[in-house]
Amino acid sequence: MQMKTASVISTGLHILVLAWATVSFTGKSFEVTPAESLPVDLISEKDFSEMTKGVKEAPKPKPKEVQKPVVEKVAETPPKPVEDLKSKVVENKKEVAVNKEATPPPEPETKPDPIKDKLEKPDPKPAEAKAEPQPLPPKRPPRPKHKEPKFDPTKISALLDKRDPTRAAATGSEINKTPSLGSATGQAARLSQSEIDALRQRITQCWTIPAGAADASDLKVVFRVMFRRDGTIERGPDPVEGSASPFGPAFADSGRRAILQCQPYTMLRPEHYDSWKDIEIGFKPSDMFR
Amino acid sequence: MNSAGVAQSVLPMASSDLSLLTLFLHAHWVVKGVILGLLSCSIWVWAIVIDKSMLYRRSRSDMDRFETAFWSGQSLDELYRTLAAKPAHSMPGLFVAAMREWKRSFEGPQRSFAGLQMRIEKVMQVSIAREIERLESRLLVLATIGSAGPFVGLFGTVWGIMSSFQSIAASKNTSLAVVAPGIAEALFATAIGLVAAIPATIFYNKFSGDVNKQAQRLEGFADEFAAILSRQIDERG
Repeated sequence: MQMKTASVISTGLHILVLAWATVSFTGKSFEVTPAESLPVDLISEKDFSEMTKGVKEAPKPKPKEVQKPVVEKVAETPPKPVEDLKSKVVENKKEVAVNKEATPPPEPETKPDPIKDKLEKPDPKPAEAKAEPQPLPPKRPPRPKHKEPKFDPTKISALLDKRDPTRAAATGSEINKTPSLGSATGQAARLSQSEIDALRQRITQCWTIPAGAADASDLKVVFRVMFRRDGTIERGPDPVEGSASPFGPAFADSGRRAILQCQPYTMLRPEHYDSWKDIEIGFKPSDMFR
Repeated sequence: MNSAGVAQSVLPMASSDLSLLTLFLHAHWVVKGVILGLLSCSIWVWAIVIDKSMLYRRSRSDMDRFETAFWSGQSLDELYRTLAAKPAHSMPGLFVAAMREWKRSFEGPQRSFAGLQMRIEKVMQVSIAREIERLESRLLVLATIGSAGPFVGLFGTVWGIMSSFQSIAASKNTSLAVVAPGIAEALFATAIGLVAAIPATIFYNKFSGDVNKQAQRLEGFADEFAAILSRQIDERG
């Protein structure tokens, strides 16, 4: 009786709820927002140690592309000096070849300047040569103004100058301001492993271990040494750390003697002076006998 | 790809449609049975809940109405006559049973006052017991579903996960699109179990509390009415 109506109500409710659930319970696919990728450069240990000071975001130099030179300015073109044909045929040919090479504009730094050698050489007869104008080499870019140079006594020095139009690094008007790639704290020079090895080998050669200390494998002494730029010792060696042992003093003395005897340390390169001007050298018999 | 093809054949609905109906239709038959059983349990639970709450509300209002009529100073004989016409439960039923016993004792050929007090109390105890039984009937179903429902659902889940693992092993593909539908269908069994069990437990606690309250109220009325009748017996005797 009553239970029947209640069951009907309950069944109706369940059908309603199930219908609602069927409609509403649909698996929405997750929307995946693409995460921003973090660029990571893998660099070798060598690259890292050679990292120079610079800006992180600086563009990397592309190997194929010709880099913008540090200074780029074309020097004032001097009038083409007229040369004695007979005496300087060979040299002139050389110059033509150079000029051909030089027609692609950039690469001022790498370009060899063969004329530099002749710079100091004075030309004995500039005025005389002027009379008969010399035909220009065929491949040369046309310069109609200088085809028939007129004599101007104020420009004798310019006539004497046989340089090609080149770029002079010191007088650049436009300077390459792009910072080079590197980290803000990078120091160009580090003590490379080969330098450390050379130093260790050198000191080991000079070191005479006191008798008895060789057996005590746990002996250890560390010296702080400050160098001059030429590899000689400026201060020290001051003992920084040492193990307490009856052999201790003798052992430390032997180490100090070794360091003092071996100078100058020429294997330490002066361009890295910052990295080795103040170093600590440790002595351990176990290491040395290895 | 070969593995993808196998996955498609083993789990045809892989990743396409994840509505409840497709989940149910692709489930293992054991899981289907569990889900259907739990669904019917849920329907039964709610039927009981609706029935009981209606019954309790009605019996409470009956009690209230009867108590106001009883303490209004109306003659008990009159009240008895109006109430005895229709079959009554709850407090009116208790009153009718007691009054019937009283009348029988007085209207019979010989008056038997000796055991009247005891008889009336007995009659009232019996009718209280019947009333409580009526109120409490089917509450045990709620208790059973409330305690066993989650376990039944868990069984369905375990079975579904087992079968979906077998599908994974058969398809040799562990991508989430292959694994997910089977696990979702298995978890659906637990969800249904919880859906059935949670209201069952809650309403079982509520209803047993209600039954206790009504039983106490009946007992209190029975004691009061027994005291009134006993005074009448002593006065007449």
